[in-house]
Amino acid sequence: MTTTDQIITHARARFEHAAARRLAQEKYQARMLFAAQGGMWRAGPELQTMLLTCPDLEAVILDLYDTPVKINTRELLAQSQQRWQEQMNAWLVEYEQLNQNR
Amino acid sequence: MTRGALIFAFNNEQTDYVAMANWSARNILRHLGIPTAVVTNTSTHVVPGPYCMVVDALPENGGTRYFEDYAETVTWYNASRTDAYALSPWDETLVLDADYVVASSQLNLLFEADQDFLCHRWAYDITGLNNFSGLNYFSRTNMPMLWATVMMFRKSKSTETIFDMMNMVKHNWLHYRRLYGISQSNYRNDHALSIALNVASGNTLSYKGIPWNLASLTPGHQLTQIDLDSYRVDFVNPAGRKQYITIDNQDFHAMGKQQLGAIVANHS
Repeated sequence: MTTTDQIITHARARFEHAAARRLAQEKYQARMLFAAQGGMWRAGPELQTMLLTCPDLEAVILDLYDTPVKINTRELLAQSQQRWQEQMNAWLVEYEQLNQNR
Repeated sequence: MTRGALIFAFNNEQTDYVAMANWSARNILRHLGIPTAVVTNTSTHVVPGPYCMVVDALPENGGTRYFEDYAETVTWYNASRTDAYALSPWDETLVLDADYVVASSQLNLLFEADQDFLCHRWAYDITGLNNFSGLNYFSRTNMPMLWATVMMFRKSKSTETIFDMMNMVKHNWLHYRRLYGISQSNYRNDHALSIALNVASGNTLSYKGIPWNLASLTPGHQLTQIDLDSYRVDFVNPAGRKQYITIDNQDFHAMGKQQLGAIVANHS
């Protein structure tokens, strides 16, 4: 197999993978969303890091719809961490299965 | 407070939308735990039950449209969608296209949002073959497209205004078509919704959308069901190679009616 053939084979394999990975990403990004304490949130490092910077038990932060919501920081952090880890674990299982199938 | 789904189902020469709505109602009950009202003129074909009821209405012709999967032009009875507010028996309504496949409980999240009206802002192609940038915007002025495929609304004055505005666009389609520089002559609910929400926001284009993207499957690909909530899409990539992708426990809009119709027929 020439170098050109190898590059073509590699590019084709990557193309096949890309669509499935993109679909999984869309699915799990949607599943990171959750409603709690009167707001809509996306579980993940951004929310969790921000909550960790709040020194008090209560804070007012903007939700996904840019609505200011008064929240209990510890409770929201726990909910976000749980949702994030559950979905990341499911995503990993699907990702590994995808790699095996291809 | 009542809550349910609403599906418009008017059969045309090629597609049994009522059968699709029946099938979808079962999926909706299974995943979302809510009943469905089917708006139709052929109520004898709807299987009524605790999860499915019929709302009688007359079909409104939205023009004709070429469907790639049928390779022919068919009549499109889609124009009564703007009456969803008046026809819905629910306080909280989830309006779905008959060809929207519910395969997860994701849509339940919309009822938890503190919003009176929600719809998708962005759609994408599941196969990744088509760039939807041309579909996510419309008109000469590149207006953002808002998709009427999935709409969640609560009965309120602000929601009523949105549907009144959609009706105004529909009844004065030629005017709004010229005003917004839309080349497509056929009336489209997506256009009416986009214009209505823009006007309702004070022409600021600031409205709240569903916080995830609308997964779409364009016609021309082979769609088959491989398990209860698992589907396979076979398609040919740009290099001419056959390829497939599986959709597991994920909702999607099956724009190709023919193959979804075959899946539904298998369940009848």
